[in-house]
Amino acid sequence: MSASAAMRQERERWEAQRRWARAGFAYLLLILFSLLFLGPLLFAALSSVKTDPLGYPPTLLSPQLAPANWAAAAKLGREGAKAPLWGGFAPGANVNVELTYFIPQGTEAAAPTATVPRRRPGGGLGAVQQIDYAADYAVVAPVVEVGRRAGVHGADAQAGEFVTYRVTVTYPGAGPKVDRLPLDVESASRAIEFVSSTLPPTRLERLGLVASFQAVTPGALGYLLGNYRRVFTEARSVTTGDSLFMRWTWNTFVYAFFRVVVTLFIATTAGYALARLRFPGRNLMFLLVLFAQMVPMQVLFISNYLVLRDGIWGLSSLWGQATLLNSLPGLLFVTALNAGPVFIMKQFFESIPREVEESAMMDGASYWSRFSRVVLPMARPALGALIILSFQGAWNDFFWPLVVLTTPEDIKTLPIGLLTFRNVYGNSGDWGLILAGAILSALPVIVLFIVFQRYFMEGVTYGGGKE
Amino acid sequence: MRARGREFLPALMFLLPFLLVLAVFFVYAGVRAVYFSFTDYDLFNAPQWVGLANYRALFSDDRFLTALRNSLLFAAIVTTFQTIGALLSASAVNRRVRGMTFFRSAFYMPAVTSSVVITLIFLWLFQRLGGINYLIAAVSRNAPIILTFVIVMVLAQGLQVLVERWRLRRRLRGAGQQRTVSLLDPALLAVALVAAIIVTTALALLGYLAPREVQNVAINWLQTRQEVPASFPFWLRVPLPLAAIMFQNIFTTIPTYMLMFLAAMQDVPRSQYEAAALDGANSVQQFFYVTVPALQPVTFLVVTLGLIGTLQMFDQVAIFGSSVPLQSVITLAYFVYNRMFPGAQLPEVGFASAAAMFLALLTLIIVTLQRTVLRAEGER
Repeated sequence: MSASAAMRQERERWEAQRRWARAGFAYLLLILFSLLFLGPLLFAALSSVKTDPLGYPPTLLSPQLAPANWAAAAKLGREGAKAPLWGGFAPGANVNVELTYFIPQGTEAAAPTATVPRRRPGGGLGAVQQIDYAADYAVVAPVVEVGRRAGVHGADAQAGEFVTYRVTVTYPGAGPKVDRLPLDVESASRAIEFVSSTLPPTRLERLGLVASFQAVTPGALGYLLGNYRRVFTEARSVTTGDSLFMRWTWNTFVYAFFRVVVTLFIATTAGYALARLRFPGRNLMFLLVLFAQMVPMQVLFISNYLVLRDGIWGLSSLWGQATLLNSLPGLLFVTALNAGPVFIMKQFFESIPREVEESAMMDGASYWSRFSRVVLPMARPALGALIILSFQGAWNDFFWPLVVLTTPEDIKTLPIGLLTFRNVYGNSGDWGLILAGAILSALPVIVLFIVFQRYFMEGVTYGGGKE
Repeated sequence: MRARGREFLPALMFLLPFLLVLAVFFVYAGVRAVYFSFTDYDLFNAPQWVGLANYRALFSDDRFLTALRNSLLFAAIVTTFQTIGALLSASAVNRRVRGMTFFRSAFYMPAVTSSVVITLIFLWLFQRLGGINYLIAAVSRNAPIILTFVIVMVLAQGLQVLVERWRLRRRLRGAGQQRTVSLLDPALLAVALVAAIIVTTALALLGYLAPREVQNVAINWLQTRQEVPASFPFWLRVPLPLAAIMFQNIFTTIPTYMLMFLAAMQDVPRSQYEAAALDGANSVQQFFYVTVPALQPVTFLVVTLGLIGTLQMFDQVAIFGSSVPLQSVITLAYFVYNRMFPGAQLPEVGFASAAAMFLALLTLIIVTLQRTVLRAEGER
């Protein structure tokens, strides 16, 4: 009796152990998989704040993510333009940067020289505009020594002295506010080694001889989000001088908004007719809808491109457009061919019992009032999903915008705008701006996803979240 | 008893917007593509009927043959790996645990972003000094440590299973209880994991185990015409930049398909697994004899979607663009686009249409073939 009870107890314990271990491994695997799948996105997001995301070896963290540097950047931003957040260089500025050098024993101490170079970062799309250079207004005071202590430095523990110098840059008189103050500090000789500074330099040039700052008065946010600021400020329209990225974002919003409206209208009306009304050719119509989902876009785009080019046989000249290429209406026309939503709405309307519709409406009511007053309000959940998913589809749409919107840059949407970034900045290895742009352009759909997860996940389980 | 005719007019009104779009941008476009494919149209001169000349010309065009080879290899390799990868990872995480919704969302998150965002991120990772090469170097540098870890874990697990089996046999003799210890027994595996971590850390701290000296890996994934494996015939060689796109595509599509598998797996009745367990099937056998057959309809869907998606792959080629040699990544879909907008040359609309028709037919044939094969497989 007691022996078998002990046996049972032992067995229960044995099984409990296995249950716990199994659950533990399940969570371990789930966490590993999440990190794996989210990895590239997270890594890119972390790297998008780096000055050079291609720096080797790649690291997860960067000086931009250290709070101590934010404080220094805020202090310098305040000195530069009384702007601790976004920095700059304005009249009355008095910027003090301290740099510490290591002077080995036997080497004569000599102060470094500081210059404000006439330089603009990146080239690319911004190169055509006129900008103000900090070099035209800045005055660099003589470099002074402010501290000195003995110590050892380097892997070989060389003896010597750490000497700290102060570089002061001022902006006397009046003038425009300049966005950034670049600074190059050149060490007096190769033997004298740069150790640290108030704010880490953007890069060390000429084998460590020159500590180069892209912007020495960035402000806290300007330091952390420098690449993000460049995304907005650097690429500008040739004709209007507006920020291209702003235009692309706006265009994408407008396109996505109208795409949702068009999709809703077509999918509900056509879906209702296919689900509820009887007419000759209904089955043929339905087959056509299924077929339209399977034919590759490449087959259709040749003719569609020509139709748009001619403004749908001159129809568009009625509202003053000779061609529908390079225009939002053209894009909306050609993407209105979207059979998936029609199919989904047809399925949904069929799931509403016919009796509901019939009892709710008195006989003799028009089909339109049945549709708009009874069926549509009942379809609210399906419409919600349709709105969210078609917004996401339009936001990410690549092929049709690529074909339809080619010139000028101002009319593009975000995905093909990013392609412009890739062409202009990618080849020169300037990935900070591209990554920042990519992350920014993904943010709206990620927020949408987090808020409306349910709709997205239902989409997947029904087969194929993406087209 | 509604007359069909009475609903014809309202139906037409409801369908009109969609019908117009369908007529212009689908039916007319389709018919015109067929027509163009038999002509020499170039946008500027009136089309002349040339019969099958375009189709014949396709098969003597080097770039087309390269595109065809790339598309076929891409479809075959990516569909295989993404289906198997999705199936395996789905069965690995197929547990009914709290917080599953959270993890499913985390898996799916990258899939809601645009192909441009994901492809640009991978383009950055595949740079010569990028994350992928660094990862390869890091793994190869730490190979001794990783290997030690795995060996210790396998040994510890084997030893424990042997001991536990022997102990159980002795204690349960005559008790009338049935209990077995599987090779992957989770409780013992947890102990083995801890043991492996302790032993490896200890060896590393004591200096017996150190990373190897390895040269930095600087594989040129992008700016290259290299094809691997070099000794294979043309039709089986994968250009290196295409391999990069394959990797990206497999990686980013697995979560979506994995969730489809996962949804179907949660619908497999538990009783089937219990019955299989009673018959003495271990977890691997259960996977092959219960899970795989039950998932047949989803597998069907996943393979079909995968084939269509990969055969018509376009975005990645366009996004990689000038950072790779065109012939190393060109696919059929991009070939059509490229002939239509060839830059400085005259557009070859007829030729492009023929290639597009070929792509449509190829997709249809391969999908049909796959459906027939998989269905036959399922009925066996």
